[in-house]
Amino acid sequence: MVDKSQVIGLCRSLLRAGRQYPDYNIREYAKRRTLDGFRMNKNLTDHSKVEEAYAEGKKQLEIVERVVKVYSAYPPKTKNIMELKLQ
Amino acid sequence: MATTFSASVSMQATSLNVGGLNENASCIDEQQVTTTRISFQKPVLVSNHGRTNLSFNLRRTRLSISCAAKQETVEKVSEIVKKQLSLKDDQQVVAETKFVDLGADSLDTVEIVMGLEEEFGIEMAEEKAQKIATVEQAAELIEELMQAKK
Repeated sequence: MVDKSQVIGLCRSLLRAGRQYPDYNIREYAKRRTLDGFRMNKNLTDHSKVEEAYAEGKKQLEIVERVVKVYSAYPPKTKNIMELKLQ
Repeated sequence: MATTFSASVSMQATSLNVGGLNENASCIDEQQVTTTRISFQKPVLVSNHGRTNLSFNLRRTRLSISCAAKQETVEKVSEIVKKQLSLKDDQQVVAETKFVDLGADSLDTVEIVMGLEEEFGIEMAEEKAQKIATVEQAAELIEELMQAKK
């Protein structure tokens, strides 16, 4: 039985995991994708669909955590221009 | 004789002690039989109907809500909230504003909390972050964590 707080917790975990990418592009994509994904399924009422979506989210969380480690092994040498603050 | 007062005034032949109200103080609502001083935040008409000893009940003229978080933290939080929810600049966001009142659902709240974590460089625990519903609560939690960091 998946309840609202679990879903919110999953969203938070995904956002936190996505924050750790050293590469600006992937980092922003992870944040954008999780929010879009959760918003898209926001109004699901069918319980089996909710469970399905939750399981999918958990799988993605594992993937993100694993890939963060790989990307951190080869961080980019320079900062992306989008990350520089406007002078 | 009838007298009007504005700002703080001291008057003889009165026995009353009223606490002044301001943002950070808790309200003292007492009536004591002591000497003199009255200070009002608002102008009040006090009339002595020919009596030498004047004492009267004054209910709280204004209920003060004590704000435990610093004003600048609250303002920073409000800025971030406005940006995240794409609110207009003249939309009023004060300490007591609830996120739902600004049209945010729980996902938007999560996003706001993430933005706050990034801005202040702190990490909020899951259970505490879930309880945040107003700007005030967010600011208090942020200050708590920043204090702990030092």
